[in-house]
Amino acid sequence: MLVIDDERSIRMLCRINLAASGMEVLEAEDGTNGIELARKERPDLILLDVMMPGIDGWEVARRLARDEETSDIPIVFLTARVGLEDRQLGEQVGGVGYVVKPFDPVEIGRVIESVLTRLERGEREQLRREMTHGPEERT
Amino acid sequence: MTQSVNTESLSLEELSDAYERANRFHRVTEHLAGALTPQQVLDVILTEGLRAAEARAGAIGLVTDDGKAIELLAQSGYRGDVFEKYGRFSVDADLPMSHVARTGEPLFLESRAERNKLFPTLEGQGEDGHAIAVLPLALEGRLLGVIALSFGENMSFSEERRRMKVTLARQAAQALERARLYAAEQTARQRLAFMAEASELLSSSLDYEQTLKQVAQLAVPRLADWCAIDMVMPNGEIQRLAVAHEDPEKVRWAYELQERYPPDPDDPHGVAQVIRSGQPEFFPDLPEELLEELIGDDDELRRIVDELGLRASICVPLSARGRTLGALTLIAAEKHPVFDQADFELAVELARRAGIAVDNSRLFQEAEKGANAARALAYVADGVVLLDRAGFVRHWNPAVALIMGVDEEEALGLRVEAVVPAWDSLSSHVPLVRPGEAIGRPVTVPMVAQGRELWVSASGVDFGEGTVYALRDVTDERALEKTRSDFVATASHELRTPLAAIYGAVRTLRREDLELSAEDNATFLEIMEAESLRLAQIVDQILVAGQIDADAVDFDLETCDPVELAEGVLESAALHLPDGISLHIDKKGTRPIICDANKLRQVLVNLVDNAIKYSPEGGDVEIRLDAHNGECLIQIADEGLGIPSSERERIFEKFYRLDPHQTRGVGGTGLGLYICRELVERMNGRLEVESEPGKGSRFTVRLPAGV
Repeated sequence: MLVIDDERSIRMLCRINLAASGMEVLEAEDGTNGIELARKERPDLILLDVMMPGIDGWEVARRLARDEETSDIPIVFLTARVGLEDRQLGEQVGGVGYVVKPFDPVEIGRVIESVLTRLERGEREQLRREMTHGPEERT
Repeated sequence: MTQSVNTESLSLEELSDAYERANRFHRVTEHLAGALTPQQVLDVILTEGLRAAEARAGAIGLVTDDGKAIELLAQSGYRGDVFEKYGRFSVDADLPMSHVARTGEPLFLESRAERNKLFPTLEGQGEDGHAIAVLPLALEGRLLGVIALSFGENMSFSEERRRMKVTLARQAAQALERARLYAAEQTARQRLAFMAEASELLSSSLDYEQTLKQVAQLAVPRLADWCAIDMVMPNGEIQRLAVAHEDPEKVRWAYELQERYPPDPDDPHGVAQVIRSGQPEFFPDLPEELLEELIGDDDELRRIVDELGLRASICVPLSARGRTLGALTLIAAEKHPVFDQADFELAVELARRAGIAVDNSRLFQEAEKGANAARALAYVADGVVLLDRAGFVRHWNPAVALIMGVDEEEALGLRVEAVVPAWDSLSSHVPLVRPGEAIGRPVTVPMVAQGRELWVSASGVDFGEGTVYALRDVTDERALEKTRSDFVATASHELRTPLAAIYGAVRTLRREDLELSAEDNATFLEIMEAESLRLAQIVDQILVAGQIDADAVDFDLETCDPVELAEGVLESAALHLPDGISLHIDKKGTRPIICDANKLRQVLVNLVDNAIKYSPEGGDVEIRLDAHNGECLIQIADEGLGIPSSERERIFEKFYRLDPHQTRGVGGTGLGLYICRELVERMNGRLEVESEPGKGSRFTVRLPAGV
């Protein structure tokens, strides 16, 4: 897993709780480092914050999608932005999940597993549609 | 006075009598010279004149204007019923006065027998009289009237006595004529004065109702006993505007009467007839038949008319430019003499002037109404557009010119689509109502005018001959509304971020399936503490901004040390400093400053936080302290993103965020710099910014230095 978030506390929450679910967690504190790390380490999934100094989450997602090396890595947004237009933008730039802050870090592992399982079942489009449907992914 | 007396044939007694008569005669002449009015002249003739003539009784009659009759004016010494018998009689009558009127020659009858011989019909009448002398009152061959003198005994009229009586009559005639002329002149003068006064009143004010009331008041009792003014209302009804009489009690009574007997517009006489025909009506003597016709069988009305004692009336139309606007009525009743031609002409002239005054006043009111409407349209804040049935612009007020960016001259007479190509995008959304219908809420629609995108709030009324639209540019309101909703979204985001850390930390700490290291435990507690404080700070900012808006922030100004403050701010910033940022302080010149220490700390914390936040690539953040010209400068400089020049002033606006779409991802409430500038300015200071995009920014706080 790769967590890209400028907030140290959020990264730490993800790292500790995902480790408890048996996942290995990489961290990046901004978009530029995140993209670099994604290219290098090719994580199974990226948890991506939106509002960060430098390039924001939307732009990170666009760049990852444009890059062959990273275009198939599923992205789940982890953000405090709650508007419908934000969810739509998340879907547009290629996300497959939308988790709204504040979130329950204890459940985040299960959310990721569910996304990965459904992606394996070929439910990518369904996941993307669900992004704009509101808070059911909220854990 | 030249009087020749033949003294040779007279005795001393006779001479003394003649002297006495001459004296009396002289007195009459003096008195006549002093008599001004016709009444005074009559009085002098019938007292001093009679005495001078040695007569027992006398009577004066005037020939009527038509020359056909003699009207008895005054008498003295005759029996009381003389007026009843001889008040008015024909010049053809077989009477001594008629005889003299016909011949123009004096008549001396020395005894009753002589009288009866000449006027047999008088035999048996006036048997208490003896000799009589009847003399013409003539002036330059014109006969005014006749004076009759009766003596207590038979007389032998000597030549001297005759001459004296003839002279007396001539002087009386002169005095009478002079007094008549004087009276006529007085009347004319009064009329002129009245007309001047009335004209002045009429031109004194444009409130014609008020001035007409005053004119009516002015007319009584000089011109008539009653004066009434009636006006034609727009609906054709006749309304009494004024009634005047000397006695206010009678005026009240007249109004009551008006209530009881409202005027019928089809009345064959009076106000209604005059207004209908535009022709005046003049009754120098109100004919009995007319009153009878008016009264009919109404006994009550008969009593009223009797009480009124109507004698003469004049009713003249008030008209201007061929239209009859009302009528002026004058009535002679209990006091005023009956009206003559001059009264009538005066009334006509007064009505003519009043009509013009009313017309002028109405024209002015119309013009003023129009001018006021134009003024209202010119200055009203809403845009007003009038389109005719074919869609051509007929009115385009300055407000709409401003909204649409098209001047009135360019818009008038053109099809509205030619003036504003996007008109349809507006009008298609505006429901048109009929006049008087509820408009409901104006519709707010976006449109483009002269390349400018705007939001317009509009309503429209279709009044048959065209359509009138009221427009208001609500672009700014929409923008503010947008800014507010953006602020709510931003505030929500800002609150959610620290909340996520706190909630997440608590959830993780409570996990029973997880054994956290002592170090992680401590970190989570630290996170919870720091994020709680951050949350409180955001909430504070929102509150402070609200207080600033309500002008409810108190300042406690005192002298304080800026170095101490700056160091304190940097120390707390150092506690959670991102990697790559280093903090410095430069104290090259410092002086104490006058400020509220807590408020200044808030400002510096905010500016340092911003400096760090907008330096994502790291760099130096420095506070420099300097002082000159009685000012203390505190500068906060960074090497971060910088601010484009176009945004440099806007960053201090409330809710404004450097990048509204937050694509750079730096969060904030959009309140920090707004609060900073407001606080600094309220401490008598200034907050300025210099910046070079990509190289960093420098904020300067200037505050007055203390002593």
